[in-house]
Amino acid sequence: MQLTIDKRSVVARKGEYLLEVAQRNGIEIPALCHHPAVEPWGGCRLCMVEITHPDWKGWTGLVTACLYPVQDGLIVSTDTKKVHQVRAGVLDLLLARCPGSSLIQNLARQYGIEETSFTPRKAPDLCILCGLCIRICEKIGASAISSIGRGVEKLVSVPYETVATAACVGCLSCANICPTGAIAFSESEHCRTIWSRNFELVRCEECKAVIGTPEQLEHFARRSGLDRSYFTKCDSCRNREAAARFVRVTF
Amino acid sequence: MKQLFVTPNRCTACRNCEVACSFVHTSDPTVLAFPRVRAYAISENTNTVNLCLQCDDAACKKSCPVEALVWNAKTGALEVDLGRCIRCLMCTIACPFGNIHFDKRTNEIAKCDLCQGDPACAKFCPTLALEYAEKPSPDPKPGEVKPLPPIPWMLFTGKQSR
Ligand code: SF4
Ligand code: FES
Repeated sequence: MQLTIDKRSVVARKGEYLLEVAQRNGIEIPALCHHPAVEPWGGCRLCMVEITHPDWKGWTGLVTACLYPVQDGLIVSTDTKKVHQVRAGVLDLLLARCPGSSLIQNLARQYGIEETSFTPRKAPDLCILCGLCIRICEKIGASAISSIGRGVEKLVSVPYETVATAACVGCLSCANICPTGAIAFSESEHCRTIWSRNFELVRCEECKAVIGTPEQLEHFARRSGLDRSYFTKCDSCRNREAAARFVRVTF
Repeated sequence: MKQLFVTPNRCTACRNCEVACSFVHTSDPTVLAFPRVRAYAISENTNTVNLCLQCDDAACKKSCPVEALVWNAKTGALEVDLGRCIRCLMCTIACPFGNIHFDKRTNEIAKCDLCQGDPACAKFCPTLALEYAEKPSPDPKPGEVKPLPPIPWMLFTGKQSR
């Protein structure tokens, strides 16, 4: 099907969402809670665009591009005054929530906001509640974290806000996907700590480079159906060994 | 269909292939990409390269929790969708041949994509140890030299890395 984004005619397949089509065509729409690895969620409301259609008798609407399914003949504008206003509103609020986040500061600046017009949160952390960590944790099959509480008290944590349960495999996927770097973790010689839980570290059998936690490797072996013995060495050591093996079988 | 053939006993471990690979897989000429093909001098007079076998039942693909490894029907290569990839690095641990890497400098998973059907490594292999063809060619005669394309700098296109 054919639609128009910012006066450009673009092709889309049924079932796609506006944001992916725009991105594929190099049209930029800011998005904070979107990642292609997980289902769209519509949480941050930053990807707002204005839409209309020849059949709509002049009606227009503001929708989240990440969640709006493509439709033949749709006319999308990503840079109107209204769009600018709602996005600025979202960023004003986010800046009150996370005044210390450079990502939010930079985005807000692009929309003309240097300082929030609201009262900044007291003792703010960097979490913008985009839910990416929760969704990626679920996606990898661990579901160790979730959102807790409601309204101004809402936060992302492990059950009872204590220490990660056995569900957490210590893979750091949540921390790595977080757009603002809100999830703290640390790694020392023998120990990785995330969500207040300590994990042992498994090292490559040859070179001793860190390859994960025992729980993580166990989990990924199980979910992929591969034997645990696949997850014992780093890529460089395996590569060298395999080369030697090739030589043995071919010469 | 053309395939990438490796004939280890022709390899001199000159590492031309590695350089060519690094060049075509970077978008910044000052930062070389991690080579997807590696050349090794195993012992005196035994050298080989090691690169992705594009396994049908690939361990990397199975280990990926977000289906970021996808087949390119045109080239037959298994490619990483870097937009989907969450950098969990499990594919790099799972591959039994160590042929999928994490490139710290570019923050990308580095895996052979057969250069979209025109592998640079084969073009720059002077000894035909690597060739992209329907079938492997006969051993070159002593003194017979394969003409190489212009020096690797010319390879830099800045197009392939996303
Ligand atoms: S590093 Fe990327 S491609 Fe590799 S398994 Fe993880 S998500 Fe998949
Ligand atoms: S990216 Fe669409 S609402 Fe967050």
